[in-house]
Amino acid sequence: MLFNSLTFVVFFVVVVTAYWSMRSWNARKNFLVVASYIFLRRVESAIRGAALFHDGNGFLAWQTNCQGQGTPFAARVVGWQRLHEPEHARVFQIRELSAAKFSVAARAPRNHLSTTAFGHSSAVGISFYTFHSLSYTLDIYRGVLKPTKSLRDFILAVSFFPQLVAGPIVRAGDFLPQLVRPPALRAGQFLWGLLLMTLGLFEKIVLADTMLSGSADRIFGYAGPLVALDSWLGVMAFAGQIFFDFAGYSTCAIGAALCLGFHLKDNFRFPYAAIGFSDFWRRWHISLSTFLRDYLYIPLGGNQVRPVRAATNLVIVMFLGGLWHGAAWTFVVWGLLHGSYLVVERVIRVLFENRARTNNLATRLLGGFATYAAVCIAWVFFRASDFTIAARMLGGMFGGHPHGDAILTTREMLQIALVTAGMILVHWSLRDSNIETAVMRLPRWIVTAVWAFMACAIILTQGNSNAFIYFQF
Amino acid sequence: MPSSTSNFKRKLRLPRLFFSTPPEIERVHGGPPLEYERPIPEVPSRGIATVVVLMVIAATCAWEFYCRSIGYGPTLNDGEDLWTSARRRVKPDSIVVIGDSRGWFDLDLDELQKGLGKRPVQLAMGGGCAYPVLADLANDENFHGTIICSVVPRLFVAPPGTPPMERAEKAVRRSHTQTPAQRVSQYLAMPLEEHVAFLKQEELTLDDLVKRLPIPNRPYALVSPRIPPYFGTLDRERRARMIEGCAQPGKLQTTIQQIWLPLFTPPPPPTYIPKEEFAKRMGQAIEQRFHDVAAAVQKLRSRGGKIVFVRLPHSGGLKALEDRETPRAAVWDRVIKDTAAPGIYYEDFPELAGFNCPEWSHLSAGDSVEFSKRLIPHLRAALQM
Repeated sequence: MLFNSLTFVVFFVVVVTAYWSMRSWNARKNFLVVASYIFLRRVESAIRGAALFHDGNGFLAWQTNCQGQGTPFAARVVGWQRLHEPEHARVFQIRELSAAKFSVAARAPRNHLSTTAFGHSSAVGISFYTFHSLSYTLDIYRGVLKPTKSLRDFILAVSFFPQLVAGPIVRAGDFLPQLVRPPALRAGQFLWGLLLMTLGLFEKIVLADTMLSGSADRIFGYAGPLVALDSWLGVMAFAGQIFFDFAGYSTCAIGAALCLGFHLKDNFRFPYAAIGFSDFWRRWHISLSTFLRDYLYIPLGGNQVRPVRAATNLVIVMFLGGLWHGAAWTFVVWGLLHGSYLVVERVIRVLFENRARTNNLATRLLGGFATYAAVCIAWVFFRASDFTIAARMLGGMFGGHPHGDAILTTREMLQIALVTAGMILVHWSLRDSNIETAVMRLPRWIVTAVWAFMACAIILTQGNSNAFIYFQF
Repeated sequence: MPSSTSNFKRKLRLPRLFFSTPPEIERVHGGPPLEYERPIPEVPSRGIATVVVLMVIAATCAWEFYCRSIGYGPTLNDGEDLWTSARRRVKPDSIVVIGDSRGWFDLDLDELQKGLGKRPVQLAMGGGCAYPVLADLANDENFHGTIICSVVPRLFVAPPGTPPMERAEKAVRRSHTQTPAQRVSQYLAMPLEEHVAFLKQEELTLDDLVKRLPIPNRPYALVSPRIPPYFGTLDRERRARMIEGCAQPGKLQTTIQQIWLPLFTPPPPPTYIPKEEFAKRMGQAIEQRFHDVAAAVQKLRSRGGKIVFVRLPHSGGLKALEDRETPRAAVWDRVIKDTAAPGIYYEDFPELAGFNCPEWSHLSAGDSVEFSKRLIPHLRAALQM
C-alpha cells in the first residue's frame, strides 16, 4: 500500500478513527498490529513466509534474551539471527529484483530505479523490517536494552506500519518505551502530523515525480552521448528526485506516526547543505547511517584504532551500506566512492585542522558546493543500471562528448534548475535549524498558504504518481 | 527547543534516586523512557487547519467548474488497473476485443452481444500495441475463446521499448501482479472519476499543465508529440464513446486531426546510430513481430481458440498518411498471410467503407453502433459462427 494512493487515505482515516475511539491501550496496540499487517498485506502471498520467518526468528531471539543475556545459547541465537536475517532479506530483494526485471542479469536500462516500473511489490520493505528486528536483538545483546515482556509490543515495534516499508529505521529502544503508556490525543500534535504528511506527499508526488523524475529517466535512459549541460542536469534531477522521494516518505511516516501519538526521529536534516561527507551522512538517511555506525563501524573499532585501520573500517562500512541497496556492482561502487570520500575528508581535515581561514563563509560555501558535486557524481553509479551508462554519463559530465546530443527541453531545464536551486536554498537556510522552528517563525498566513498550496498541488497531480524508490531496498 | 519532555523526564527519573524499585516504565523496557519526543510548533493549528480545508475545497470546486466550462466531463481513466479489472472478466470461452483505440471506439459491445451471442470483453487500449495482450491470451492455458483484433499498422508493429508496447506490457504486467491495495484504489477511484471532470490522468494534471507552458525550446531538444485532449468517455466496461463536441465540426475536432499527423509520423532515427543500421534494426524488429504474432495465433488455435483481424475506418489526412507510411501490403496482408487467420478490411466491403471519422481516426458514438451492426455478418462468417 502506497502513501500516495486512495487506499491509504481510506485505510488511514479508518485506522486513526478506530484507534483514537478505543479506550483500552491494549486494544489500541492490538489494533495497530492488525492494521500494520494489513498495510503490508502480509496475511497473504509469498511474503507470509518471510513474515513468519522474521517473527519466529525475532521471537526466538526475544525469548532467548528473556532467559538470560550473554549466555552461550543466547549468543548463538543472536549470531544466527544476525547472519540469516540480512541474508533472507537479500534473497527476497534479489527475487523481487528478478521479478521486476531489476536483477543484475535482466536489467533493462530504463527500468533500473525507474519508479514507474514497480508493479511487483509484495516483499517491499523487507530490509527495513529486518533492521527493526535486528536493532532489538543487537541492543539487548549489547546490554543497552532490556527485553520487553510483551510479544505483542515486540511485533508492533518491528511492524509499525508508517515506517515499515521504506524507513526510517526505528530502533526498538526508541519505540518500545512509547508503548508503555497511552499517548493523549492532542490537537496540535495531530494536525502537525497531518501537515507533515502533506509536506511528505508534496515532496514525493509534486517535486520528485512531477518536476524531476521524467527528466532524470530521460537522461539516464538515453542511449546516445549527451553534452555536459544535459548530463549534469540529469544527475541533478536525480539528486533532487531521490531526496524528495525518500525524505518525502520519511516525512509521511513521521507525520502518520504523530497522528497516532508516536514520535519518530528525523531521517533527513537538509543534506544538500552538508559541508563535507561526514556531515552529509549525519544528514542523509540518518537512521541507516547511525545504524551502520553503532552496529558495524564502532564494533569494528571505529576511530579508536590506528588511522589506516579506521580508514579501512570506513570503507568497509560504506561498501556494505552500498551493497544493502541492491545486488549490483554499481551500488558497491557508490558505497566505495562514499567510503573514499570520507577517508579523503579525514585526511583534509587533519591537514587543515588549525587553519583559521577554513571556517569563513567562502570556504564553507565552497565546501558545500564541492560536497554536493561529489555526491552527485556518486549518484551516477546509484542511478545507472550498468557501468556502460555510468561511463557515458560521466563522460558527458566531464566534457567527453562536446558534440553529443542536447535532448532536454527548455521547460525541463528550467524545472530542474528552479527546483534544485529552491531545494539548496531551503537546505542552507535551515541547515542549523529545523522545520518546526521555521514554522514557528513564519507568519501564520504564510504557513496557511503554503499548506493549502501543497494540498492543492497534490490534488492537481491526481495521484498520477509512482512507487517510492526506497520500496525496493 | 525546550519542551514539556524535559520536565517529564526529570519527573520520571527523580524517584529512581530515592526508591530501589524503578518505575514500571523502566522495569519493562529498561533505560530512560521517552528519550525522544518531536517538537510540536506552538501555532494556532486548529485555525490554520480550518482555513486550509476551506481554501482547498474552494480551489478544487473552482478548478472543477473551470474544467467543465471548457468542455471537460467526467470519465474513467484508462489506467492499467481498469484494464486489469476487464482482463479479470475474461472467461475461457469469452469473446475478447484487443488492439488499439479504434477497437475501443468503433465496436459497440451491445451490438456485438446481440450479433455474436456473448458480450465481448473490451481489452483494446488507446495507443496500445495488440501483441502483448495477444501473447498473454495465447499463453493463458485456460483461454480458448475468440479474439477480435483491431490492427493499426504503426501500433501493431511497434518495436519493444516504444510507448505503444510499454503501455500494453504495463497493463498485462499489472494484471498478473496487481496487489489488493491497487485493486481497492481502483474501486475507490471509479466513483470519483465518474463524477469529477478534472480527474484526467493524462491531461489536466499538474505535469500536463506544466508541459503546456508556452516556453520556446532550444534546437534539437527531443519533444514528445502531443497527445489528443479529452474527446471521449469510458465506462466501467471500457467502452469508449466520442463526445458530441468532437463529433461535430469545430475547434476540438480540428485540433485532434492536427495532433494525429505528428503522432503517426515516424520519428527521425536517433543521431547516435547510422541510418542504415537503424533501418536494419527496425526491419528485424518488425519481422520478429510477424513471427511472434503467427506463433501466438498458432498457440491459441491449438487449444481451439479463434481470432479475426479487423482494419477499422479512418479518414482524411490521417488515412493518406497511414496509407503512405504503412501500405496495406506491408503490414495487413503480411499479418493475414503469416497467421492464415481471417481478416476484415473495411474498405473491401461497401457497407463498411462509407463511414466518416470526424477527427480522422475514430467513429462517432452513433456511427459506431451502426458500423458494429454491419460488421457482425462479416465477423460471423469469418469466425464460422
